[in-house]
Amino acid sequence: MNSTWQAEIGAVFRKELKTELRTKSGLFSSGLFSIIAVIAVALAGYGERIDPTMGAGLFWVTLLFSAMISLPRAFVSEEEAGTGDQLRLLARPHAVFWGKALFNMLLMAATSVVLSVMFVVFTNLKVDHLLLFALSLAGGCVALAISVTLCGALVAQATNRSALAGVIGIPLLLPFVAMGVGALRVSLGSGSVNSGLISCGGLYAFALLMGAAAPNLYAAIWKG
Amino acid sequence: MLSVEGVGKRFGDLWVFRSISFELSAGDALIVLGRNGSGKSTLLKVIAGLASPSEGKVNLPDGDSRRTLGLSALDIHLYHNLTVKEHFALAAELRGVEPDWPILEQVGLQSRFNQLVGELSSGTKARLKIAIATAAKPQVLLLDEPGVSLDEAGREAVRQICEIQRTRGCLIVATNDPLERSLGTLELDLAS
Repeated sequence: MNSTWQAEIGAVFRKELKTELRTKSGLFSSGLFSIIAVIAVALAGYGERIDPTMGAGLFWVTLLFSAMISLPRAFVSEEEAGTGDQLRLLARPHAVFWGKALFNMLLMAATSVVLSVMFVVFTNLKVDHLLLFALSLAGGCVALAISVTLCGALVAQATNRSALAGVIGIPLLLPFVAMGVGALRVSLGSGSVNSGLISCGGLYAFALLMGAAAPNLYAAIWKG
Repeated sequence: MLSVEGVGKRFGDLWVFRSISFELSAGDALIVLGRNGSGKSTLLKVIAGLASPSEGKVNLPDGDSRRTLGLSALDIHLYHNLTVKEHFALAAELRGVEPDWPILEQVGLQSRFNQLVGELSSGTKARLKIAIATAAKPQVLLLDEPGVSLDEAGREAVRQICEIQRTRGCLIVATNDPLERSLGTLELDLAS
C-alpha cells in the first residue's frame, strides 16, 4: 500500500480524537472556561441587553482564551510526554500539522457552538444576521485553529514556552481577532452588512494564508 | 549502506564525541560501547536524523527514512492512551505500510492487543517499541539498550528478531549491554 497524505492525516486526526475522548482534557478545560466566562458576563450585565459591539468583543475574548487553553496542547503534550521523536520518526510534518489542525478545528467548532448557545441564552444577545454570524464563526474557528496550532508547534520544543507563546501569539492572533469582532458585531446588529462581509472575507483570506504558510513553517522546524 | 563520516556532536562548548567514522553494509551489527554520558544514545539519534551533527555527515540508504530506518530508544515514549493494536496500526499507517501483525506475536504481545499502552509494564513497552521499529522491515535498525527492562524471555525474543532482521539484510547499530554485545559482529568504543 502506498502512503497517501489523506491516510496519514487521518491517522494523526484519529489518534488525537481517541486520546481526547479518553482523557477529555481539552474538552473539559475549554468547556469549563467558556461556561465560567459566559456566566460572569451574564452576571455583570444582569437584566440588561449587552451592546452588540461589546457582546462581539466578549464573545471573541472567550473564544480566543478557550482556544489558547486547549489547542497548543496538541504539540506541547507530545514533547512533555516524550512522544515527539516517535512522531518525527514515523510521520511527515505536513501530515502531522494537518491532522492536529483538523482535530483543533473540530474542538473549536464544538466550543463555538456551545459558546454561541450560552451567549444567546444567558446574555440576551440577539443575532440579526444568522448567516453572517455562522459564516464569521466558521471562518474564525478555522483561522483560530490553524494559528493556535502553529503557535503550539513553534513553542513546543522551546524551554520557556509561555513567554515565547506570548511573543508569537500576539502578532499572529490580533489581525483576525479584529476581523472576527468586526464581522460578529455586524451580525449582532451594529454597523453595515457590507463592512461585516468585508471583515468576514478578511477572516477567510487570513485562514487561507495561514493554511498555506503554517504547515511549511512547521516543516522547516520539524527536526530542528 | 550506512556511512558515518567524521561525525561529532557538541552541546555548548562541550564535545560529547568527535570524528566518529564507520561504514556498515547489509547484515552487519555494530555495538556502540561507552560509559554513561559518552554519547551512545546521542550518536543513534544523530544517525536517525533526530539530532543534527555538529560536524561531519551521515549517509543513510536511499529511500523514505520512515521505512528504511527503525529506532527503539529508552527516551522515545509511546502513546499511553492508545491500545497496543491502535499504536501498532498508527505506526504502520503513518509509514504507509500494512501492519505486520505477526511481529507483535514474535515479541509476545498477542494477548495484549486491546490493552492500553499506559497499563503495560516497562518490559512490555520495550517489546512494543522493538516491534514498531522492525515492523516496516527497515534497512537500518537502531537499538538503544534494547535489553533494559526485558526479562530473559524478552531478551531471547529480541535476539531472534535481530537475527531475522540481519538474515534478510538489515544492518543493526545497538548500544552496550550484555544482550547487544552478544548480538554484534563489530564494536565501536566511544571512550577511546
